Amino acid sequence: MNTTATPSRIKVITGNAAAAIAAKLARPDVVAAYPITPQTEVIEQISTFYASGEMDCELITVEGENSAMNVVMAASLAGGRVFTASSSWGLVFMYDAVLAVAGARAPVVMVNVNRETPGIIAVSSGQQDMISTRDAGWIFLIAEDCQEVLDLVLQAYRLAEDYDIQLPVMVHYDGFFLSYLSEGVDIPEQKTVDQFLSVLKTQPKRTVLHPGEKLGVGSHGILGGYMELRHKHVTAMERSKAKFEEIDKEFADIFGRSYGGQVEEYRTDDADMVLVGSGSMCGTIKAVIDEQREKGVRIGLVKIRMYRPFPHKALVAALKGKKAIGVVDRSLAFGFDGGPIYTELKAFETRMDGAKLISFIDGIANTDITKTNVEKMIQMTGDLADGKDVPEVTWVSYPDANTKGEK
Amino acid sequence: MAEKKQGRLTKVLDYLKHDDPFSKGVAFCPGCGLELLLRFIPRVLGNDIVITGTPSCSAPVLLGQNNQSWHTLSYFGTLMTGAAANATGLVRYYRKAGIDNTVVCFNGDGTANDIGFGNLSGAAERNEPFIYICYDNEGYMNTGIQKSGTTPYGATTTTTPYGSVHKGKNLRRMNLGLKMAMNKIPYTATATLSDLDDLAKKLLKAKEAKERGFCFLHVFAPCPTGWGADPADTIEICRRAVKTNYFPLWEAENGRIRMTKTVKKPKSVGTYTELMKKFNHMTEDDIKILQDDVDYEYCLLGGLSVLEAECQLPVSVKDQGETS
Repeated sequence: MNTTATPSRIKVITGNAAAAIAAKLARPDVVAAYPITPQTEVIEQISTFYASGEMDCELITVEGENSAMNVVMAASLAGGRVFTASSSWGLVFMYDAVLAVAGARAPVVMVNVNRETPGIIAVSSGQQDMISTRDAGWIFLIAEDCQEVLDLVLQAYRLAEDYDIQLPVMVHYDGFFLSYLSEGVDIPEQKTVDQFLSVLKTQPKRTVLHPGEKLGVGSHGILGGYMELRHKHVTAMERSKAKFEEIDKEFADIFGRSYGGQVEEYRTDDADMVLVGSGSMCGTIKAVIDEQREKGVRIGLVKIRMYRPFPHKALVAALKGKKAIGVVDRSLAFGFDGGPIYTELKAFETRMDGAKLISFIDGIANTDITKTNVEKMIQMTGDLADGKDVPEVTWVSYPDANTKGEK
Repeated sequence: MAEKKQGRLTKVLDYLKHDDPFSKGVAFCPGCGLELLLRFIPRVLGNDIVITGTPSCSAPVLLGQNNQSWHTLSYFGTLMTGAAANATGLVRYYRKAGIDNTVVCFNGDGTANDIGFGNLSGAAERNEPFIYICYDNEGYMNTGIQKSGTTPYGATTTTTPYGSVHKGKNLRRMNLGLKMAMNKIPYTATATLSDLDDLAKKLLKAKEAKERGFCFLHVFAPCPTGWGADPADTIEICRRAVKTNYFPLWEAENGRIRMTKTVKKPKSVGTYTELMKKFNHMTEDDIKILQDDVDYEYCLLGGLSVLEAECQLPVSVKDQGETS
């Protein structure tokens, strides 16, 4: 991240507060939400803004997440700017509507505060909720720190509501780590955000559902047109990649912060080996990379910022020609030898000019991806680069999996 | 007699001030109660309503198929789980944007009483300003006649079939209208197709009351196909449902119940069940169980209307109109 502009207002706030403030700055017409750990603070903050009159929106405190998504879907299709927030079980409880929103191409923006979703009521970190919903047809963005939470929510509105895109956007950030972590966040002024979002007003108006206009949404599209709609959805997702890069550049001009678009590359230029990660782990990885660089280890990081659509071209461009790549997953993919993002990247291995990939599973169930863990990953990726025999998948914080695990 | 009948008919026609926005031939079964209701609503309320509907018998006609529509209303075809939440999203945005609207959330009993009851309840709590209409055909008809929470005691469906051990539904039906009235929303009413002037009045009352918040209409709408009835008997089934107190007609403003039609000498419920094959297998004892249920529900309704008249309406209910 490059910072060039003068800071406007820096406050020490949580990731949840950053999400709420970003939502406020975007001036949504309708907000609907339901509490769930670790997202609750987002709607508490928004409710406070609403109560004090700082936010002039319709706030609907619904009786369940399913209704939250259904409310914002309808409000969005009627023409409104909308916001909601959820996490894990909440995201799953609204999942039928999540799919409907995507199919209807409603430009809904939400944050999902990543949390585990197995049946043991895991109130703990992990990206399994994101992975379980990855092909809903939404654009998925992932934030690394509290500042990026705020920035990504603002960028999400530009992306979702862009006339050429018209897709829902979900901004993900790690529960417990970013949701409750307080750090300095540069909070932009309202007029600057208004300026950034004003581009949308100059675009053609999207079709909306209004009384008396003889227009419907949600046909039983069984035959004619359905395949066409699905294909248009895919092509709009593809368009969103370049659009996201454009928006990042424009964001940098206005706010002085640039992240590099679909992926952020950190010290990769002369790197022999690279870790691929996403979300809050990237801060730790960057810190370890800086230390290892002091010792002459040529290691870099490729951070996935846009996860859906899968940015394979940007990833291949960043990873091509490296000797070894370690992919860090905070979730599981069953039946594959490795984590979900690792598995997806493997599909492009042949385009990477001989780069070898290994998988690391870590950071699930509130285990920290510590500096020691990252050092271990770098060590193993280095061994792979040196042609040594390295296991394809390593559960970094659970050694038993590597010795006793069934194969 | 003929003159009197003519008078009644004219009265109904007086309410039909708007065009029928539906195409003349649509994909419903003969004698469908839902179709009659669906055509009636915009003729009374106007063609500028926004109607929302879900997967159901109403879906192909209400929501259109492929690129074609069977009507010219603005509509939102949505999910059974979130019907009332979708209507909420519409009215809240329209309010924020200053757009006049009448949103009709039109659903079957499966959505209203079962899978979508949570968000119906939430919309009532928040007093959302739209009209929710449940057409109650007492089951999941579109998927092939399965039991719902409003399927009555004894009725056979494909998930409560007649067998040597279990004979039809062995549970009582839920009283959806009364459940909603208990939320003290601005307007709740029951209606049916044998009493169209009553239905028209209630629709117009709801349109007026939705300015103060949530309105719920529970409309009894027979399904000849699913109930094993002669399509020509749809209206007669409605009439007998009213005359036996199987489906009494009442309304409630802010929860205060008032009968809109009282039946002086209610007929036995057997005169109602005899019109449908779904009750064919029931013995006299079975019918007695259903009769007791009908009597109990009616007694409760009467009791509530008397009690409520004696109780002071709290300010919190009188003043409601602001949604949360």
